[in-house]
Amino acid sequence: MTDDVMIDLQQVSKIYRGQRVPAVENVSMTIRRGEIVVLVGPSGCGKTTTMKMINRLIEPSSGRILLDGSDVATLDANALRRRIGYVIQQVGLFPHMTVATNVGLVPKMLGWDRRRIDERVDELLHLVGLDPGQFRNRLPRQLSGGQQQRVGVARALAADPPVMLMDEPFGATDPLTRDRLQNEFLRLQEKLRKTIVFVTHDFDEAIKMGTRIAVLGERSRIRQFDTPERLLANPADSTVARFIGAGASLKQLNLRRVAAIDWTEVPLVRVDESPTQVLRRLDEAKQSAVLTVDGEGRPLRWVTARALEPSQVTLDGVGDPVTVVDPQATLRDALDAMLAASSGSAVVVDDRGRYRGVLTIDDLMRAIHEMRTSQRESDRPVAEATHQRSAASNGAVVSDGRGRR
Amino acid sequence: MNFFEYLHSRRHLLLAQTLEHANIVVMSVALATVIGVLIGIATYRSPRARGMAMATAAAILTIPSFALLGLLITPFGLGYVPAMVALTLYALLPIIRNTVVGLSEVDPALTEAARGIGMGRLRSLTTVEIPLAWPVILAGIRVSTQMTMGIAAIAAYVGGPGLGNQIFSGLANLGGVNSLNMALVGTLGVIALAVVLDLILGLLGVLTRAGHRPRFAWRGRDRRLTAAGALAGAPPATATSPTTGGQR
Repeated sequence: MTDDVMIDLQQVSKIYRGQRVPAVENVSMTIRRGEIVVLVGPSGCGKTTTMKMINRLIEPSSGRILLDGSDVATLDANALRRRIGYVIQQVGLFPHMTVATNVGLVPKMLGWDRRRIDERVDELLHLVGLDPGQFRNRLPRQLSGGQQQRVGVARALAADPPVMLMDEPFGATDPLTRDRLQNEFLRLQEKLRKTIVFVTHDFDEAIKMGTRIAVLGERSRIRQFDTPERLLANPADSTVARFIGAGASLKQLNLRRVAAIDWTEVPLVRVDESPTQVLRRLDEAKQSAVLTVDGEGRPLRWVTARALEPSQVTLDGVGDPVTVVDPQATLRDALDAMLAASSGSAVVVDDRGRYRGVLTIDDLMRAIHEMRTSQRESDRPVAEATHQRSAASNGAVVSDGRGRR
Repeated sequence: MNFFEYLHSRRHLLLAQTLEHANIVVMSVALATVIGVLIGIATYRSPRARGMAMATAAAILTIPSFALLGLLITPFGLGYVPAMVALTLYALLPIIRNTVVGLSEVDPALTEAARGIGMGRLRSLTTVEIPLAWPVILAGIRVSTQMTMGIAAIAAYVGGPGLGNQIFSGLANLGGVNSLNMALVGTLGVIALAVVLDLILGLLGVLTRAGHRPRFAWRGRDRRLTAAGALAGAPPATATSPTTGGQR
């Protein structure tokens, strides 16, 4: 048990000078190694204060915080912060330094030699999906908001810290970019397995990102601390229920990812093949449409038999456009994409945009049906047992997703 | 003797006095920059300390230069030292004020990010805050330079060096042969010097503008390329393609 605990808050309180009411009152919380714990609550509830006490940007007035077993108050604050990745909403890249300098700051403070820093910077830029050759010498202002936050994440990961604190990291980006950043980050976390404390006021984001979610009330008091599944199914009190908001069942679509459910296979035709090939493939598969793909296997268009005119010699530009989704996207994202395109299906693509399968409305309905059935079973009491089970099923989701790659 | 004949016949003396003038201005502004930036750093976080520092500097600036120079004769005697002290005191206000303004205009998110990734107070100041405030501080230095340029001429009154000596001799021999030439050459010399120094400081501003250093970036890259080349046992940097990332 103790071996499993990464961060342990023990009755932590914070009273700011000159104020009678504590900003944070008596918070105790255990955060396990490798999980993403999301602190979610209304603005001003003290969630950021709670987070900042972990890396001592704010010193607690009372209580103890253990990081990997040692009391953070006994450690040198700067050394402590270099071991904890820190990402904030405003990104906070230094505008007068290049991307590479920004990312290499912590390793430099830790006294790494130049070559090791350079190599690490390139590795990290690759990791967050930015081409080092193109980006390492750019200045932050030459990047888009999404790219800046990717660099922000890379900087926080620079010295490979076991723990990361993220304060509304994707809050300042537009919904589309935010969604992409969230998916990318989850994919990253699958590899990195960091212990992450994530602050947000957006409950949907909490459901999507969190292994466990702590819903905080005033003075950062924990209203409920549980997995997203349990939280949506059994809100502890009316405040939590209000905070979850309407449409809890719809929100459950946020809990499952495209990677975790079964997809449909469709016949593929390379765009440089002949139109007759389409008809043959349709016939073989007994389907109404084939997907054209380019040389790299990236989906291009849906082609039905009707779309082909007798005189057709090339498949280039024939058919209806496709909607694509990422395997890390939630079912809700996928449903959204399908509704927006009114196509009733979305092509699942990998991170290079290559075809991996097709998600249809029927696949979604089947998954929703399964979720509702299993929900009803897990709604029995004995909190701890269910807890374990949902944690286990979480693990299954992940390995399932991996198995399909 | 007309103006140009005068200029020609005294060119050695005039050149020496111009250099002396430039020297005392540069020295006192440099000293004021060190003191002013330190005072700015020490006071910018506390409104009260900041107010006191600025009020004191402003008060010094209101003392007429003749009076201040006269007062400084008692402790420092005549010559270079009292002139230097007076000029430094006058140069302080714009530098302190701009340091304070520059530092307090640094985005709080950046200072928090600096702290959050483990930079101490000093490191945050030297690597983040001062570089970001530098354009504003430099603007203060330029104002101080212009201001002390004129006041330095008056420093000749206490035996200070520089073009002020031309002006004072001209005024002392009013009606004399070269009096007008002397006053004229002193005044024009100060103006010309002021323009030249301002241009130099402007150039310094361009060269040190944050994130605008192709020269430094290039050098950093070059070193990296050489290192990568040496590591791979490859021919020197010139042979390495621009996509170093893939070559590691």
